Amino acid sequence: MATASISLRDVGRTFGATRALAGVDLDLRPGVTGLLGPNGAGKTTLLRLLATALPPSQGQVRVLGLDPEVPAERTGIRRQLGYQPQEVGFPRGFTAFAFVDYIALLKEWTQPAARHAEVRRVLDLVGLSDLGAKRIRAMSGGQRRRVSLAQALLGSPAVLILDEPTTGVDPEQRVVLRAVLAELARTSVVVLSTHQTEDVAALCERVIVLDRGRVRYDGPVTELTGQAAGRVWLADEPDPAASISWRTGTGRYRNVGGRARDGVEHVEPSLEDAYLLLRGGSPEHEPAQGVAS
Amino acid sequence: MTGWHLDDDMLRRYVERTDSLAEGASAEQHLLSCEPCRARVTAAVTAAAGGTGLSVIDFAAVWDRTRDAVEVPRPSVFERLLRGAGLPAQEARLVAVASAFRGVWLAGVAAVLAFAALAAAFGHARGVWLFLSVAPIVPCLVVASSYDPWMDPALEPELVTPYPMLRLVLLRTIAVLALALPAVLLFGLVVPGETAFAWLLPAVGFVAVVLAASTWVSPLRSAIAVSSAWLAAIWLLAARSGAPEAVLQARTQAGFLALAAASFAIFLVRRRRLHQLRPWR
Repeated sequence: MATASISLRDVGRTFGATRALAGVDLDLRPGVTGLLGPNGAGKTTLLRLLATALPPSQGQVRVLGLDPEVPAERTGIRRQLGYQPQEVGFPRGFTAFAFVDYIALLKEWTQPAARHAEVRRVLDLVGLSDLGAKRIRAMSGGQRRRVSLAQALLGSPAVLILDEPTTGVDPEQRVVLRAVLAELARTSVVVLSTHQTEDVAALCERVIVLDRGRVRYDGPVTELTGQAAGRVWLADEPDPAASISWRTGTGRYRNVGGRARDGVEHVEPSLEDAYLLLRGGSPEHEPAQGVAS
Repeated sequence: MTGWHLDDDMLRRYVERTDSLAEGASAEQHLLSCEPCRARVTAAVTAAAGGTGLSVIDFAAVWDRTRDAVEVPRPSVFERLLRGAGLPAQEARLVAVASAFRGVWLAGVAAVLAFAALAAAFGHARGVWLFLSVAPIVPCLVVASSYDPWMDPALEPELVTPYPMLRLVLLRTIAVLALALPAVLLFGLVVPGETAFAWLLPAVGFVAVVLAASTWVSPLRSAIAVSSAWLAAIWLLAARSGAPEAVLQARTQAGFLALAAASFAIFLVRRRRLHQLRPWR
């Protein structure tokens, strides 16, 4: 079986006068890649490009070796694609089963018995096997999110694009979903955007940080976290030398960035610390490796 | 599902029906959500039936049928009609999902038409003008609502599936026309004179214009623009002549036929630029 892959070369996208993405070069292979960045950084635009929902204004996109600008090849990509958009509306009156079944029909699952079995499989994967007959309107936000994830998992796609899949999902289910995605990522390219750095830390071997449409960091999660080593410390007061400080649950202040004074209590940096450092850091904090722009 | 499973003794008592009422109920509850234990029950029943000639129940198949009965949505009346008209079951489902085929929307359209038809029947000239204003724009508004992105909340997941959106749009358009045209004709039966049918060609022309215009702007905007233009034209005609003869003239009707043909030709040429597919223009 050919290895699933995605490549982007000098990809840019504008909306009128607004530049959403610029000069993006990426190569993605099987595994889970996390996409981090502030609101408006271009994460959703990048995911929509990968999902063939949007064409680039410039540059070249190849998904599974196919060109999404060519209609026949685009259809070929879509046969092997799962996509969970940031916002999914559900047709009025639909149950979870009916919605996933409807998308399965559009995904060419024409045999009813096989289609129903597949719908049940994906609902089971996201922990909704007992709620198939429940109307989506009556579901909680987290349950609706899982319905939209279920439709993306149909057919165990070679490329899975997820826009904030764990938003509103409870911690137990998030752990279950991580296991599902990790299993699929053995053979599939999984790209997910999130504001939950703990999801990226727990699930992704690679992280891409976007900022104002450009790739700010692209590399292993451990490497990004490592760049914050020695730059995170606890103190009884906010440290003026730190770039960012906040009061933790213990009443002490966590200080990130800047130059720590001697004798402070250094702590193990988290991915969130490293991300904040990258986002708020002065030029001396720019990571030495993995910076694409 | 928890990590707990039926132990061998409990499973044996369950299969032999020697368990207590409470224990049996507990086992049933667990079996509802535990595929491995259901498989063990099947295996135990098979073993128990070995050599006795008793038939063995395929619990997996029974379970699937039970779940189908609970979970698989029943086809709507409209979906059943489409199937009856020869559309394959899966395509009938895809077409019937559109908002335009929801009961509330259809009831609203029917109410407006009924009001216009009754006004024409009992309201003399003004009523006829009202019917002539409403009837031709109903099909194009319903067509637009059957595939407008604004009316289709699940558009983005739909868009990135291999199913051709163009085919879906055309299927929904044909289905809408098959529903709307006879309905308006039916209401038109109470309208006196030739006005009862004068709306037919304008309606066909407007549907074609909406399809063609949808390759530039959204279907609903197209339909609203067409409807507004028609209402303005009718108002002007009514103000000038006071009678609907202008619409009934053969030359005017031929004009609507030409409009339909030209618009449909434009749609065919520009079909890949439909508003839904616009990202890939």
